[in-house]
Amino acid sequence: MLVDLPGGWSPLLGRLAWSQIPYANPILAPLFVAVVIGAIIILGLITYYGKWTYLWKEWLTTVDHKKLGVMYIIIGLVMLFRGFIDGLMIRTQQVWAVGPHSSGVFGSLHGYLTPFHFGQVYSAHGLIMILLAATPLLVGFMNIIVPIQVGARDMAYPYLNALGLWITAAAAALIMISLFVGDFAHNGWFEYAPIFEMQYSPGVGVDYWMWTLQLLALGTTLGGINILATIIKMRAPGMTWGKLPIFVWASLASNVIALTSFPALQVALALVAADRYLGAHFFTAGMGGNLMLYTNLFWIWGHPEVYFVILPAFGMMSEIFPTFSEKPLFGYMTMVLASMAIAGVSWLVWLHHFFTMGAGPYVNTAFSVATMLVGIPTGVKVFNWAFTMYRGRLTFNAAMLWAIGALFLLLVGGLTGMMLAIPAINYMVHNSVFVVAHFHSMLLVIVYAVFGSVLYWFPKVFGFKLDEFWAKTMFWLFSAGTVLVFVPMYMLGFMGMTRRLEYVFNTAWQPYLDVMELGIVVYTLSVLAFIVLLYVSVRDHAKNRVGADAWGTSRSLEWLTHSPVPFYNFAVLPHVNERDELAWRREHGIDHVRPEHYDDIHMPNNTGVAIIIGALTFVLGFALTWRIWWLCIVALLAIIVLMIIRSFRGDPGYIITGAELQRMEEEAYRREAQIADSHHIHPVSGGVVGNAMAYQRNDSSK
Amino acid sequence: MSHSAADPTMHPEVQLSTSKGYFLGFAISAFLMLVATFLVTSHSVPPFGLLMVISVCAGIAVIAQIYFLLHIDISEHNIWNTVALVMFIPLFLITIGLTWWMFSQLYLRTMDMSVMSSAMQPAVHASATPGMADMPGMNAHTDSGN
Repeated sequence: MLVDLPGGWSPLLGRLAWSQIPYANPILAPLFVAVVIGAIIILGLITYYGKWTYLWKEWLTTVDHKKLGVMYIIIGLVMLFRGFIDGLMIRTQQVWAVGPHSSGVFGSLHGYLTPFHFGQVYSAHGLIMILLAATPLLVGFMNIIVPIQVGARDMAYPYLNALGLWITAAAAALIMISLFVGDFAHNGWFEYAPIFEMQYSPGVGVDYWMWTLQLLALGTTLGGINILATIIKMRAPGMTWGKLPIFVWASLASNVIALTSFPALQVALALVAADRYLGAHFFTAGMGGNLMLYTNLFWIWGHPEVYFVILPAFGMMSEIFPTFSEKPLFGYMTMVLASMAIAGVSWLVWLHHFFTMGAGPYVNTAFSVATMLVGIPTGVKVFNWAFTMYRGRLTFNAAMLWAIGALFLLLVGGLTGMMLAIPAINYMVHNSVFVVAHFHSMLLVIVYAVFGSVLYWFPKVFGFKLDEFWAKTMFWLFSAGTVLVFVPMYMLGFMGMTRRLEYVFNTAWQPYLDVMELGIVVYTLSVLAFIVLLYVSVRDHAKNRVGADAWGTSRSLEWLTHSPVPFYNFAVLPHVNERDELAWRREHGIDHVRPEHYDDIHMPNNTGVAIIIGALTFVLGFALTWRIWWLCIVALLAIIVLMIIRSFRGDPGYIITGAELQRMEEEAYRREAQIADSHHIHPVSGGVVGNAMAYQRNDSSK
Repeated sequence: MSHSAADPTMHPEVQLSTSKGYFLGFAISAFLMLVATFLVTSHSVPPFGLLMVISVCAGIAVIAQIYFLLHIDISEHNIWNTVALVMFIPLFLITIGLTWWMFSQLYLRTMDMSVMSSAMQPAVHASATPGMADMPGMNAHTDSGN
């Protein structure tokens, strides 16, 4: 052993022992029982209905970008719920443990969580919300929408796409299992040097945190490569850069950030691993180490990551506003430039996370100015959205409400961000809940945009709309919760309340904490409304079915194909004539044309390799956390061998014949004809309306 | 989805790569790493000289890997590699340059240089750690001390 391991180690089980299972914990033990019972019920139901084959063939081994995207979003929503429960626990502890006379239960002096447990809760809350909720939700949407919007049949690398999903799932599983086996990190979601060193955090919590993050970084980088290659190489004929839908531009900017910044995080984490596993001294206070270098390396990734998650949200808003304003997006080119500018500036601002390090006036001023520069492209975007709505024919349905809510939160979060960009103010409110309220406002922009997109694109993926009444109920409950939680939090920040308090010493803050607790209760109601929304929508799906253009005012290419989108996306690749292709076709009366002739198309095969490698990365992460070396070696070798086997075998794909395609298309058109809003559909070959083309002209049919 | 893309062995990156090139790249990097490891463990060079030598080794290894393993050159068929390189260079300068700048400013304000250079002494002959000499901003102050 290169480092001292307190608590013993055995060659067979590493640091794992029965004492690591928290069966005496009054919160975790009942939860564990509930999870086991829930899992048995779900597995039992799958077996009872004989769905294992379906699940394996249609979902677990799929390389279809839409199904992978849906699974990304399911992971994101489940983890959003887990992170929300953590938030509920934090709020409840803080409203309970105020002042020296507050009661305590479950072994805690005040409140119901011990400081160590509370530390794990807020660390898990942060890591989960940013990297396991926001990131998979956004990656999921990019996965589903980008290939359809650029007119491709799948991602550039379908197998890599599946691999990215299953590695992300492995990371989610790793952080979930830390609930019941061992502890999670208790030092905050971004950790601090040197407290994460072995001497100060001897448990497995930091190891869980480190490997979870490492797996996520790997999965997200793979996803980023795939989306970039898809956008650059797979665009439909006629789709020049100037005709790219705006969400695709946002995804492009976002994934350029992912590709360039995640390696910095992986290096930082690898150095932490060297410290904790090999006894190195990269981030210790002495022996040649430097603890601020960790903070530096982390935020070199961390700040670009913030824009990695906000840019797709901006892209979503840019799609929703024009559709429900019945106008083209105002200032398309400035929107593109603004996205690229935000991506560029994201690399120049990371020091503002640690202004208080004391790098001095020159450095702080430079980074302060760079940070304020972000306000320019963001302001351009806000004005563009406002001008898109200006004199538009606005429809205030639920998706639009979420987008407008995101716009308001962006103003609140953006302007407080400008305040924080001033070092003098930053020194005053550093590590206060003012900062917490600021970045929650920004991350709620993402949540609002995501829920807006769930409503907006749900009919495209599943073929029916979600229930408007419950969607609006959820929106208003969620917004009320946001106001009740975060307005008092901004105020408490100005009063000097620091973040991550498991005991609140100032009884004068009690009323504010009470309001925040009320807010989290309202949030809980909105979660219930979401569940009702899903139930009601699925129950009534037959009467909410939609045709290709679900909203009637949609503008971009994804609304051209059927809803739900067939697995091959487009039977014949469309030829793109204009920026808002569908709007242009509608104007010229050719939005309901269909191809006259179908050619054979080539599609990728399903593969079980991706999910097996995903499972092995989970085993690897678990074994590394518990230092079970033999298991690490077995898992790593198995991954490498599988990679080699898969690479040599490759995937020849398979052919769908034109006749088969025609049969499936006829069926889809028949289904669509039963829905009220679809009109006459007439077949055309290549050219329609002068020299404009509806479909890719195939060489064989010329 | 074009059919030409279905066969990955036809891609220019694959066509350009040879097993000889990969082995050469691997051998050069492995050799340079061995040299660096030997120099660090044997303490045969004073700290500042050591820093210089292993930096040069690292630089050559990076170039060898970029050329032999990543096939980054500025030719026409590798256009996307060139794009990646064009993106990488400013990012590299930004991260390393700004980090160097902020830490040199930090040390000006937080480190007592006379204490630092005396703290260097035991590191030279007692332990394997290169001490503070590998920190950005410290070289100018420490090399005269040794």
